[in-house]
Amino acid sequence: MDWGLLLPLILCAAGVPLAAALGADLRSARAVRIAGAALALLPLAAVVALAARLPEVVSGGAPSLVLPWMPSAGLAFSLQVDGLGLLFALLVTGIGALVVLYSGFYLDHDPAAPRFLATLMAFMTSMLGLVMAGDLFTLFVFWEGTGIASFLLIAHRRDDPAARRAALKALLVTGAGGAALLAGFALLAHAAGGTAFDALRAAGDGLRDHRLYPVMLGLVAAGAFSKSAQFPLHTWLPDAMAAPTPASAYLHSATMVKAGIYLMARLNPMLGGTETWFWLLSLTGFATMLLGAYRGLRRNDLKAVLAYSTVGQLGVLMMLIGQDTAIAFKAMVIGVLAHALYKSSLFMAAGIVDHGAGTRDLRRLGGLRRAMPATFVVALIAALSMAGLPPLAGFLAKETLIATAVHPSDSRAFDLAMTAGTVLAGALVLAQAATVIHRTFLGRAGSAASRAHEAPALMVFAPAIPAAASLVFALLPEPAGLAAFLAQAAEAAHGATVKVSLAVWAGLSPPLLLGGVAMSLGVAVFLHRRRARDLEGGGAPWTWGDRAYEVVLRGVDAAAAAMVRVQDGRLRRYLVVMLAALGGLLVLFGAVPLPEATPGGGVPPGGWVRVFAALVALGAALASARLRDDLLAVLALAASGLSVALYIALEPAVDVALVQVVVDILTTVVLVLALRRLPRGPAHEPRVPERLRGAVPAIAAGVVMAAVAYAALSSRPRESVVTPFYEANAVARTGASDVVGAIVVDFRGYDTLIEITVFAAAGLGVAMLLGAARRGRPAGEARAAATVGVAGPRTSPFLHLLAWVVLPLALMMAATRILYGHDQPGDGFTAGVTVSLGVALWHAVFGLAATRRRLRWARPRALIGAGLVLAMAGAAAPVLAGQAFFSPFDFGHAVGLPLPPGVHFGTAMVFELAICLTVLGSAVHGLESLGGAAPLPAAGKKEDAR
Amino acid sequence: MNLLLALAIGGLFGTGVHQLLRRSVVRSAIGLVILSNAMNLLLLTTGAYDGAVAAYATLQGTHSDALPQALILTAIVISMGGFSFVLALLLLLSARHRSDDIDRFTELRH
Repeated sequence: MDWGLLLPLILCAAGVPLAAALGADLRSARAVRIAGAALALLPLAAVVALAARLPEVVSGGAPSLVLPWMPSAGLAFSLQVDGLGLLFALLVTGIGALVVLYSGFYLDHDPAAPRFLATLMAFMTSMLGLVMAGDLFTLFVFWEGTGIASFLLIAHRRDDPAARRAALKALLVTGAGGAALLAGFALLAHAAGGTAFDALRAAGDGLRDHRLYPVMLGLVAAGAFSKSAQFPLHTWLPDAMAAPTPASAYLHSATMVKAGIYLMARLNPMLGGTETWFWLLSLTGFATMLLGAYRGLRRNDLKAVLAYSTVGQLGVLMMLIGQDTAIAFKAMVIGVLAHALYKSSLFMAAGIVDHGAGTRDLRRLGGLRRAMPATFVVALIAALSMAGLPPLAGFLAKETLIATAVHPSDSRAFDLAMTAGTVLAGALVLAQAATVIHRTFLGRAGSAASRAHEAPALMVFAPAIPAAASLVFALLPEPAGLAAFLAQAAEAAHGATVKVSLAVWAGLSPPLLLGGVAMSLGVAVFLHRRRARDLEGGGAPWTWGDRAYEVVLRGVDAAAAAMVRVQDGRLRRYLVVMLAALGGLLVLFGAVPLPEATPGGGVPPGGWVRVFAALVALGAALASARLRDDLLAVLALAASGLSVALYIALEPAVDVALVQVVVDILTTVVLVLALRRLPRGPAHEPRVPERLRGAVPAIAAGVVMAAVAYAALSSRPRESVVTPFYEANAVARTGASDVVGAIVVDFRGYDTLIEITVFAAAGLGVAMLLGAARRGRPAGEARAAATVGVAGPRTSPFLHLLAWVVLPLALMMAATRILYGHDQPGDGFTAGVTVSLGVALWHAVFGLAATRRRLRWARPRALIGAGLVLAMAGAAAPVLAGQAFFSPFDFGHAVGLPLPPGVHFGTAMVFELAICLTVLGSAVHGLESLGGAAPLPAAGKKEDAR
Repeated sequence: MNLLLALAIGGLFGTGVHQLLRRSVVRSAIGLVILSNAMNLLLLTTGAYDGAVAAYATLQGTHSDALPQALILTAIVISMGGFSFVLALLLLLSARHRSDDIDRFTELRH
């Protein structure tokens, strides 16, 4: 457990809130610059923390940290840093520090600079986590994090539609790749029986021989190819240049696009070395290399040239991983390092040009060397490295690349192709580099040259560091420490020893000669670059990816439009469609097969009463459908519900029957109150055809449901797995002889807590919708109505008396329910509803205002709040006694209170009381607002209906 | 008995759907209540044990299945809450359109 590994991650993550918090205070350009410089100290500290690991890692160590995350699913948050990871981690934080510093200058006039900086820090955290991850799923989480950050950074200029489109494209392409990657990782983890990279390495042979190997490899490669812009998924990367230049320098050249490279290098010891691996990576990389090298030559946008050359370099790296030889991995690590250095430097220089000259269109640039001398020198060094000239890092990268190409591999033919391809690509890249320098800084002064000015020193400092580094690391006489470190990185990817030497002069050798050929070819291409452009074609293969992307997007749009057309806004049609879909699913999944009729079903003893109850329930429901008068229909519904309650009581399920009775009454009251406030529009008695149309889905639904019910009743298991547990433990664990009550209040207390919360929310929702929540006096007519009672001005003295008597009775009943709920039928819910019905009677008889005045305790919101707080407190109380949240606890017994038999003063009673209070409050709230007379808003007043 | 019960549940369900699909707001709300009654009845009667007495530790004899009972207790309460909320929404809509005809609620039409 090496907790220190968290330090660099925490340092970067700390930058997110810090940068975001700056938001309001960055009023001047100066403040933004200072903020950027200060923020850069965090990744700088991370660099130091990571560099401190160098001695340990170079000597072969791999410090790790594993924190359990979801142990039951075998998931852990796992970090591990070996040579490969450390190389990338240092690049991420090192270049990150420079880019953050640079961003402060680049965005000094952008009011959204804090958002950009915060997102940049979030990206840095994700990217750092990605390369430090020690297992598949930790890596995946960070992988997706980089994708989201990239989306936000590309779309930084929110009001620019092109930026939004580019961001969406990047998100969709890499996101789809991420989904494939997740599937591939799941297969890998399943096949290897573990998710840690150590476990995967140990299972290497088993993985390569696994029958799903091609699927795993395909899915993982799809993820890596999309992220690392391999042909034909590369199309998002040139578009992503819509991002502010610091993001392009950082994400889209130096770090994020190398995530796919990193992943394949990381997985090479587990999945690599097969023929599939070789051809898949080699050919994809080869095609990408040539595509990038050729396409970059033609762009007029400075950043687009750099973007395509990045695509080409990513192809080179992918191809190298496919070779799986020691020299290839040596070429890969040198290539990663050299490219990150010169490309980030060039991008930042391009940003300075854009900033200083106001454009990055090569047609308007030129001759800037006088106006921007420092930037010119920096860009020149970086471009020389890109061109692969000695004595720069790029030269070493190109030499080892060509050496790999001439090194014999599995296929003679591919060796030849690779040699020719790398020489050609090298030539084209040299021409690109020359073009960039020539058209920007040399030659005739362009139209933008007059107002060009040099950037502040610190801003040029940022690209100068990597440019200088590419010079220094090749100039130092054999920097042994660096060579050993790179060897360690290459070994982690190769799985075997790799020797790395960084000598610029290694004697006259075939690679050196071929490098010379590439160089002279490149100069020739540069001189004749105008002719090379005519080779562009319309239906070229590099447009396939773009076209496929557009076809898919159009398809999604068309599907969405079709969906919208189906939804014509008629609610009743929606219902029919939903019911039909439900029925269709039931039939489709065979939920309706009629089982053999079980003989001897017969009518159980006392069953005739059940038959009666079922028939009355059905008959009353049918009557409610037939009755013309709405009020009579509601009463018929009440009769139906009560018959259902009777059936439930005969089950016998006394608690449920009681709840059904009170809910039925409450429903009836609510419906009657609603009837009062319902406007009467023009009559709409259905004509016969319409009736028939309504009958068809009803009959179909009834038949399907009868079949489902019959199947369920006849084939249900006659032995429960769960119930015996509750039966056996109700008394022992909760002290309740009422098993149902024990389940509701104790065993499944959480459920009930949520249930009453929902009920409370429903009451509050009704009150809010109907406007009773508004404080203050109702005006005019409404006030008059509110003072005389819901039932109207004339109520008989008998009713007054009844209301006076009923409420205390209801309260007493509620009290007994709460006291004896654990051993007798009834519970807090029935208690609450009963009291609320008593209060509703007061509403009807005395009116809302009088009721509120006289029943001061019946304050809905206070009751709801008190109930929910009491419920939580009661659930939490056992924790004080050292028991679990929501565990049953008998305070009375613990303290030794003298209580009558059958009464337990414990958590259960507290909870019942809490339920009662909450339900009472919610029901009274709903009833008050339904019974109120405040007019509801009609169309055309405040909000238009449409 | 099973067949009879199944027919009753199916009948209740069909009636509920019929009511739910009517144009009148009240009838639609009534349909919703009938539907939930039908479903609760179905869930209750699919318990594993045909009890002679209710599930009380103090009572002798075959207990009825306590588990579905506890579950539909929750179901009844939640559907009551949901029902009143839907009813309030319907009331608002009918006030806005000055009609209790669901077909006149045109908010979703485009």
